[in-house]
Amino acid sequence: MKTLTFCICLITASLAPAAEKPPCCRETAPTTPLTDKSLYQLDSTWTSDVGKEIKLGVLRGRPQIVAMFFTSCEYACPVIVENMKAIELALPAALRGKVDFLLVSFDVEHDSPAALKAYREKKQLANANWTLLRGREDDVRELAALLGINYQRDARGQFSHSNIISVLNAEGEVSFQQTGLNKDPKETVAALEKLLAVIPGSSTP
Amino acid sequence: MRKSVFISLAAALLGAAALGGSELMPVPAGIYLPLFRGENDLKEIPVARFLLASTAVTNGEFLDFVRANPQWQRSRVKRLFADDGYLQQWSGDTELGSRCTAAQPVTWVSWFAAKAYAAWKGGRLPTTAEWELAAGIGFTREDGAKEPEFKQAIARWYASPSPATLPAAGTGRANLHGLRDLHGLIWEWTSDFNSAIVTGDARGDTGLERQLFCGAGSLGAKDTSNFPAFMRFGFRSSLKASYTVHNLGFRYAKDP
Repeated sequence: MKTLTFCICLITASLAPAAEKPPCCRETAPTTPLTDKSLYQLDSTWTSDVGKEIKLGVLRGRPQIVAMFFTSCEYACPVIVENMKAIELALPAALRGKVDFLLVSFDVEHDSPAALKAYREKKQLANANWTLLRGREDDVRELAALLGINYQRDARGQFSHSNIISVLNAEGEVSFQQTGLNKDPKETVAALEKLLAVIPGSSTP
Repeated sequence: MRKSVFISLAAALLGAAALGGSELMPVPAGIYLPLFRGENDLKEIPVARFLLASTAVTNGEFLDFVRANPQWQRSRVKRLFADDGYLQQWSGDTELGSRCTAAQPVTWVSWFAAKAYAAWKGGRLPTTAEWELAAGIGFTREDGAKEPEFKQAIARWYASPSPATLPAAGTGRANLHGLRDLHGLIWEWTSDFNSAIVTGDARGDTGLERQLFCGAGSLGAKDTSNFPAFMRFGFRSSLKASYTVHNLGFRYAKDP
């Protein structure tokens, strides 16, 4: 039991936010094998809003709230981002620094790192825990498939897409999905509380 | 017993060879007219000339692939990339067994597995626009919609239940460009199968399903007589990338 408490402290310490690097640029994640359902098995390379090339695996280690969007979106995406912010706000204070947010663009043509950066500034997305990524068309299609998101470009260059906010656990497995716009964040928050209450390697919830 | 299995396997392999196997055939550039979607959706999608395999990938061909790429063998594949039905018609990781033949199209494969096979062959999966364009080519003319015999042949398949035993790949009648079995054998994965927006769309048009599948709504559709295309649209939109299905396989494409 003592050992367990000790572990909890260690893990809690390692998750503490104190003046941390943004999610893309932290120390390399653990090297234990990924689980069969981990999205971090994807080998694709993505580019962040500061032009840094990363694999999704660098996000391993803490829960991610993930949505797909595009910066020129007029209707749904701003709502999705607001919904993600609402989830962040609804988190108990103790958990707020322990969850990251990830936005991945559908628009491979227009969403350059600079466009993502401008979007981050416009929406005031904190560097500390929000990651904005763009990728190759095939890789975007694949990630969307894994998240169960259908999308299609229309004649005006806008994208129709499913509105899904996914919760990935620390290992990169989809553990909860909120479908549709403007849902009460409480279910997602409950899912996160459950995730963060579980200490990896222990069976007690 | 083992010998007889071997012989039937060999015969099946020979059979596939006798049918000429799969070949990449050029498909001329064209315009794909998507099914009715919404006022802002593209009405025409130009498709550049591309190469498409003349037949669907067979069990025998897929066996070569999993031998060369063990991570795609039944017991090793990650659940993220294929559900637990993956290659269930085979008897083992690298054995087809008696429940299928090498010449039959491979089914029970996920989109990820299909994509990996296509990449291994130096190709890719066809887009939905490419696949539909190719599928619209008639037996004797470019525009199958103007060929009654072609339309009847298609309608016959979509109206009949899938057979208990799949025929061998490549046995269907070739279209004008030498492509076989685009209709009449199996459903096939496309690279952007998840572009079909049926519900939960960004613009919240949950009435779309009604527009597509209800009689009155379909009056607004591009080509109301193309019932099979509606079926394919519905089928694709019901899929997830890790799904495997008993009558869903694939063929690969390549840029010229």
